[in-house]
Amino acid sequence: MQQGVVVGQLYQRYGPVVYRRCLALLRQREAAQDATQEIFRKLLRHEESFLNSEAVLPWIYRVATNHCLNERRNARKRSEDDLPDELPLRDDAPPDLLPDRQLAQRVLERFDQETQAIAVGVFVDGMEHEEVAAALGISGRTVSRKLQRFVANARKFLLRSAS
Amino acid sequence: MTDRCLSSLALEAVLLEPQSAPGAVHARGCEKCRTRLLQMEREGEEFRRFVYPATLAAVEKPARWSSWALIFAPAAALAAVALVMIAVRPPRPAEDYVGSKGAALKLSVYSGGAERAHQVSDREEVRADAALRFRVQASSPCQLWVVSIDETGQVSRLFPASGATGAPVQGLVTLPGGVALDGHPGPERVYAVCTAKELSMLRIENAVRGTVNAGPGVGMVKVRTAGALEGLPGGSSQATLLLEKK
Repeated sequence: MQQGVVVGQLYQRYGPVVYRRCLALLRQREAAQDATQEIFRKLLRHEESFLNSEAVLPWIYRVATNHCLNERRNARKRSEDDLPDELPLRDDAPPDLLPDRQLAQRVLERFDQETQAIAVGVFVDGMEHEEVAAALGISGRTVSRKLQRFVANARKFLLRSAS
Repeated sequence: MTDRCLSSLALEAVLLEPQSAPGAVHARGCEKCRTRLLQMEREGEEFRRFVYPATLAAVEKPARWSSWALIFAPAAALAAVALVMIAVRPPRPAEDYVGSKGAALKLSVYSGGAERAHQVSDREEVRADAALRFRVQASSPCQLWVVSIDETGQVSRLFPASGATGAPVQGLVTLPGGVALDGHPGPERVYAVCTAKELSMLRIENAVRGTVNAGPGVGMVKVRTAGALEGLPGGSSQATLLLEKK
């Protein structure tokens, strides 16, 4: 790959995708800017993936989502308060999902990264199970199974917290 | 295609391929999706104008440590490599630099990509979508604003990118971050203003609009002929530079 110009072109085209993802998950502009830079450097290590036009967007989504969820978890470990706790849940999801969406927001970071990414995909990004599966490179069955377990465990956790 | 609104990922696909993305037809007919697309476009514009120029050098860094990276490194890093930089490219204003009498504040503007960082002279032609970085030299501690105005009268805030007041500076400072021009050809005048006391963006904006509008001619002529800002508090220093976007 011709470095310099091509990197700049890729960054211009796909940088906004990464930045919006970071803004959505980190909720803070400076953190989003830093994360965008880091994520794009990660992406450039696998530059051949940019050539697959059909898969490039889910790949960027997956890398950016995992990076930002890590950032949130690390910030929490460091007891940093600068990243807002709450993620913006989609308001156009079916109303019957509302209780689960609220659960997702409150307990997200208690789960493993893949489960977090699935929950974010469904509850924050408004994705269908199949879409989450394709974006994360896992099976639809895994998405359904992990999502069910997430909701069940989240309810148990909240019940324990309440008692 | 169901009536359900598009996911974030599907909307990203629409932004990248507005005509051919699978969700394009739905997005055109769905008010909620259109609203979300507008918001996403605004965030994309924010990336293009602020994040891209501020981070491009770092993104390219693994590939090549270029003169752009040296010149436009954040201020702290810049200090560490100052000796190297002076040997390579002495930091001095352009010969036709326009600044305030007595040089209480000097402004230098740089454009170009990672391959070639270039110090822009007053009235020089630059690419209409050029990425710009700024360096100022303030002879005493002050609160700095950098703004620009184009022929439509649009005043753009260039530095600091956020906050209610200017950023404190003293001495020679390469400003962190940068901006990208809007891609529209025409003159754009950059003003750097440093004030002893904190001043709001609104005051700066009013001073810029008032000065430019009071000048002769219309539109582009006003921007090209505008001089020192009026209506600033005593003790303020300023510098200006005209860019011709092509």
